[in-house]
Amino acid sequence: MKRLLLSSIVFLFAFTSMTWAQTTVTGTVISAEDDMPLPGVTVQLQGTTRGTTTDVNGKYTIQAPSDGTLMFSYVGFLRQEVEINGRTTIDVALQPDIKQLEDVVVVGYGSQIKEDVTGNIAEVSGEDIERVPVNSIENAIQGRAAGVFVNAGNGKLGQAISVRIRGASSISASSQPLYVIDGVPVISESLSSADDAETNPMASLDLSDIESVTVLKDASATAIYGSRASNGVVLITTKSGVAGDTKFNVTYQTGISEPTNKRDWMNAEQYLSFFEEAAKGSAAYETRLGYWGDQATAEAFWMNNYYTPMVSYLAQGNDLQNPTNYDWQDQAFQDASSRRFTLNASGGGEKTSFFIGGGYSDEEGILIDNSYTKYNGRINVDHKATDKLDLGLRLNVNRTINNRLGNDNLFETPMQMVAQAPISPFYADADPNTAGYQKSEEYNINTYYYNALDITDNSYFETATFHTLGNVFAEYDILSNLSFKTEFGMDVINQNEEYYYNTQLDYYVGAKGSGYNAWTEARNYTSNSYFTYKDTFAESHDLELVLGTSYNWVNQTFTGVQGENFPNDNFTNIANAADITYGSSTDTEYSFLSYFLRANYKLNDKYLIGGSVRVDGSSRFGENNRYGTFPSVSVGWILSEEEFLQDIDAISFMKLRASYGITGNANIDNFPALGLYSGIAYAGNSALVPSQTPNPDLKWETTNQIDVGLDWGLFDDRISGEIDYYIKNTTDLLLGVNVPGTTGFSSQLRNVGELENKGFEFVVNTINSTGDFFWSSSFNIAFNRNKITNLDGQVIEGGYVNRAVEGEAIGVFYAYEFAGANPDNGDAIFYLNREPTQTELNSGSVFEFDGRYVTANPNVAERTVIGDPNPDFIGGFTNKMSWKGFDFDMTWQFVYGNDIYNGGGQYQSASGWYFDNQTTDQLDAWTTPGERTMVPQARLYYGNGTQASSRYLSDGSYLRLKTATLAYNLPADLLNRLNMDKVRLFVTGSNLITFTDYDGWDPEVSTDYLGSNIALGNDFYAAPQPRSVSVGINIGF
Amino acid sequence: MRRFKTIAAILSLLLFWGCDSLLDTEPQQSISEDQALTTSSNVQAVLYGAYDNFGGSDLYGGHFYMLPDLLGTSGDAQWSGTYEGPTQVFQKNMLVDNENARATWLDAYQAINVANNVLSALDVVDAAEQDRVEGEAKFLRASIYFQLVRLYAPDYNEDPSAPGVPVLTEPTRGIDESSNVSRNTVQQVYDQVIADLTSAEGLLTGSNGVFATSYAAKAMLARVYLHMGEYADARDMAHDVITNGGFSLVGNYADAFNNSNTNTSEDIFATQVTSQDGVNNLHTFYASQQYGGRGDIEIQQQHLDRYEAGDDRLALFYTDPITGETRTGKWQNQYGNVNVIRLAEMYLIRAEANFRLGAPFTGQAPYEDLNELRSRANASTYTALDNITLQDILEERVLELAYEGHFLFDTKRTGGSVGSISWDADNLVFPIPQREMDANPNLTQNDGYGS
Repeated sequence: MKRLLLSSIVFLFAFTSMTWAQTTVTGTVISAEDDMPLPGVTVQLQGTTRGTTTDVNGKYTIQAPSDGTLMFSYVGFLRQEVEINGRTTIDVALQPDIKQLEDVVVVGYGSQIKEDVTGNIAEVSGEDIERVPVNSIENAIQGRAAGVFVNAGNGKLGQAISVRIRGASSISASSQPLYVIDGVPVISESLSSADDAETNPMASLDLSDIESVTVLKDASATAIYGSRASNGVVLITTKSGVAGDTKFNVTYQTGISEPTNKRDWMNAEQYLSFFEEAAKGSAAYETRLGYWGDQATAEAFWMNNYYTPMVSYLAQGNDLQNPTNYDWQDQAFQDASSRRFTLNASGGGEKTSFFIGGGYSDEEGILIDNSYTKYNGRINVDHKATDKLDLGLRLNVNRTINNRLGNDNLFETPMQMVAQAPISPFYADADPNTAGYQKSEEYNINTYYYNALDITDNSYFETATFHTLGNVFAEYDILSNLSFKTEFGMDVINQNEEYYYNTQLDYYVGAKGSGYNAWTEARNYTSNSYFTYKDTFAESHDLELVLGTSYNWVNQTFTGVQGENFPNDNFTNIANAADITYGSSTDTEYSFLSYFLRANYKLNDKYLIGGSVRVDGSSRFGENNRYGTFPSVSVGWILSEEEFLQDIDAISFMKLRASYGITGNANIDNFPALGLYSGIAYAGNSALVPSQTPNPDLKWETTNQIDVGLDWGLFDDRISGEIDYYIKNTTDLLLGVNVPGTTGFSSQLRNVGELENKGFEFVVNTINSTGDFFWSSSFNIAFNRNKITNLDGQVIEGGYVNRAVEGEAIGVFYAYEFAGANPDNGDAIFYLNREPTQTELNSGSVFEFDGRYVTANPNVAERTVIGDPNPDFIGGFTNKMSWKGFDFDMTWQFVYGNDIYNGGGQYQSASGWYFDNQTTDQLDAWTTPGERTMVPQARLYYGNGTQASSRYLSDGSYLRLKTATLAYNLPADLLNRLNMDKVRLFVTGSNLITFTDYDGWDPEVSTDYLGSNIALGNDFYAAPQPRSVSVGINIGF
Repeated sequence: MRRFKTIAAILSLLLFWGCDSLLDTEPQQSISEDQALTTSSNVQAVLYGAYDNFGGSDLYGGHFYMLPDLLGTSGDAQWSGTYEGPTQVFQKNMLVDNENARATWLDAYQAINVANNVLSALDVVDAAEQDRVEGEAKFLRASIYFQLVRLYAPDYNEDPSAPGVPVLTEPTRGIDESSNVSRNTVQQVYDQVIADLTSAEGLLTGSNGVFATSYAAKAMLARVYLHMGEYADARDMAHDVITNGGFSLVGNYADAFNNSNTNTSEDIFATQVTSQDGVNNLHTFYASQQYGGRGDIEIQQQHLDRYEAGDDRLALFYTDPITGETRTGKWQNQYGNVNVIRLAEMYLIRAEANFRLGAPFTGQAPYEDLNELRSRANASTYTALDNITLQDILEERVLELAYEGHFLFDTKRTGGSVGSISWDADNLVFPIPQREMDANPNLTQNDGYGS
């Protein structure tokens, strides 16, 4: 009772100054497992924000009241609470924890003990991230966080990666999550100006700097980020130093990559016979239509006028009777190598600790002329200025150099070489198979399409960035239980894009040399200031309050110039260009001003209740709706602390939680609410045209999210997991609404419509074996159903045949339903998908086929939903094993139930429409009456069944061994003799095995020239993902 | 001391409280609507904007001429490009979602809205400039409506009461139910075109740099009247331009084309293209890769056979060094102007109208008008004894104006056919774009385009 009274007094007077009898407590923390000292253990005075960490020898010193309680926590160990009871030396042995619920997780503006979290948060440790040989952070969490759908889209390096957390919650605004690094929201959008293919600023991070990645998914976790939280928030924390001797860590790895898959294309002989058949097919077709008296004349015409001249042109001397086969697909790819070197050091003394790191990586793409190099430097410093004042710095400077490629829709992109005729030589000289052949310097430019070999060889396209990302902070303990933190963060990217097509490519660019040079600078400043109040009173009441404000300002400037006609290729700077053909500079900005409050309360270590509210103002919105309020509430109940469950030994942990909250999405262009005129020019006069109609009522998209979840652990947490069900309802969609074109505008951004994502997420973690042979598994699977519930009758189209339409998932494929070849005549036929008229039936233009009505004229058929680019479920399965010095881990990742539309199909698999090389499945084209086949008769220049239809749709499900690593750690006694802490030899790989029915190259695809929320699941000569294997060594000393 | 620190901390937290001004950002590349039409010079700038849109790639900068030529040709030219939109046009098999039908519609109405904005703000224009600004805007608007109605509606000569295209003469200030306009009749569209051009002709003077003049309006009127079969009006307009406009045929046929940012003596109106602004989309598709084009349109022997040997107009065709195909040399320069109306067309209009109306001839006899062009091209000339026919005149139009956008419309107004397809067939009319049908419930689709 006395203590209760005391605590109440503490609470009541918490904001006034109080003094207590302080003693200095010291001690050593060891692991109960091997009695080795544990460095880096957090030692905290309970109920306060005061704390320290153990040094390299496991020793700590802390000032504490003599009747206080110390809490010892460390990743992978059980938290331990020890009452001081007047002692000055307290040694502790921490028990290893296999359930890891007591870990501290990073949340918005603070951190929480995982057990107390009432929101849905997925966490991936830095250790897991560092070990995977991938280029960017998004790839590193692929398959490891439930409900996070990562799609790299393209095998080109440095390109944007799509991340969807619990489905896409917008149609016109961005659906990418908010990325926050060490408390600073960062620029994650593409800054590319030269090309439609987006770049990815996140790729510049050095993965070995990362301590943890936390993905905030439900509203109670994200609402503290208010108007930018609807798509989820990814919090990235970088490593900080541990007091003690300076520790060095060196990693070197080198590897090779190749495409995950190649497609089967016709060889020279198949090509020639197929196109002869196609020319004759057109002759037969025209004869049937009555254009010709007899088929022989028609065939002679088609052969003499179309087939023969074209193939002899394409052959360029290649012997058509016995043609050499040129595999153009192989030419698109290169043997790619990569190397990565990182060195970091951490350590510190009583007052100051640091982590400094440097890294270099150089990666070649699987496509020719594609590479990504990055240099990274990091300094993280923490300093205890006084007992009460902590200062810190997080600073990352990096430089990247990306040799980029044109987007998928350009002739110069290497993948488009598959369209070249296999009879066309690569080089201007003859057959490489002849004896004494020497590679010519000259490429063959007399190809069906521009020869990408010539273009890539005679041009460069380089993007270099210089990126400074960091923040400084000060944290002051106003009282033992009240602290104030203020931080200022800065994220500045300077980017230079430069391309040059040399004078030899005048046939391609229409000028003697064409150069482009552009500078983009993005500046992002953030300041956060907040109070944290933490107290325990009457033993059973834990309270935490956070109150603060944040201001974020982002400005982007661009200057670019293009010049043509250069004296020669030694002068590639625009200064030497005879004509300046383009020049522009732009400047744009936005800002957010925010206030936030969060409260978490825990009663008797059983009952949790939390709430937060954020008020956001944004420059992006209309005068009438500039501020928005985003609240959330959550509750949790730790059932396993209840007596009625205490007796059930099997249940070691059980927590029920539920949350509800409102978040927003403001990820749109900068001035969408204003009526605008933009400047252009005509005949040397500056000119103005209306570019936007006003909408002063424009406001945020609002997402209401309910989440109920159960966290559970069985058999001392040998088996544990999470089950979540959520409903995310997004209203007031920021929608580019189609308006009648007669207004002079094609669309207007309005708050129209609603969509819903709902689904289940399951996570199961198991410890399969302990002891010498350790084996743990983690499985996650997430089912998300996306449905557009209201679009005000709008139909919004994107991609080739994607659309957003009420009652369907976003981006469904809407096109004709292909029925194959008409067995009678080889015409492509399509399902009618409506009742035919009697006239149609009488004329024979519509007829019955396999019990359904079909037609050869797609104009009279109804289009229908032929597929859905959204997966039914996604997930991953990670296994970690170790035995003596060996460890092995692998992550499988799967996506199921999505469809992919191949926009390139109408050229690649087109029944010989044009002279593009065809996939070998076209060899099944219809030839004889009565034949049943899905490939219509080959008809040159007639496009038999090449209309957008389900002919080009295929299942995009896949299961993939995303990463696997096998490592050997040198034993401790050997290390001691070498005076080292760690030597680890490893071999690791990514995208090693893929199971899929997808027809194209790789099912993880989204062509880079069609980027929108609606244009989902489209392929168009997109590069497959790389399959990489590397070997490396990691040394710690 | 501690209390002081607490207060300082709280103050810093409140630093941004209520600072709405932190959220005030202004666009740097655009100006707001209420500023755009407030000064004379801004309205003039919007008028330049109307010219820019008028000369856009989907309008007079290219597709307004290329698409009807593809739709109106049978055997003279072959589209061999891979773009789906022009492929459908060339095959006379356009689908309702044809990308060019959509883009041309949207861009045309965008340009019309810009012109309407100019016309709505005439009262802020300096008094001395008002007539000119009004005349130019009306010329641009009428020229676009004329091409729109000829592409997207049944031909005037088939049924003037058929649905044409919506006629809008007021600028868009907001989007609501009233934006769901219906199609006016073909006749109403022609009425608007003639009213605008007639008004423009009166407002403009004969000289206005590279911008629209009274003669540009008259020449466009001549073209409109000819299409309507109003031959006397067509003849008079053409005659006026020939005799009073001060234009003259350039000496060398080839010199009439590929001029950058300057009009020749025979350009009555041309959209201006330079390396800095403007676009020549005819170049994109007609020119060979060597000249930076795509080389998507091959001129066929059937067309070359129309010319006699030695005709300079034949000599302008060239062989694509990369593919060996024949291309027209009219659109070789990426930064060359697009000739909208040349003086040559006026001779042809006067000749045809005179011929159809019979003697007495205005100006000179039809054969003499043809000779103006034929002698310039070093082709054989006619004499009075040759008794030229209407067919000769129409054929001369093909030779002189090939690939300048006349094939389809000449076929339609003369009741001819494209190959075996009759001039009034449904598939020689563009569909109303599906996106437009979806966005506006009051529009009706053209015959032959289901749903």
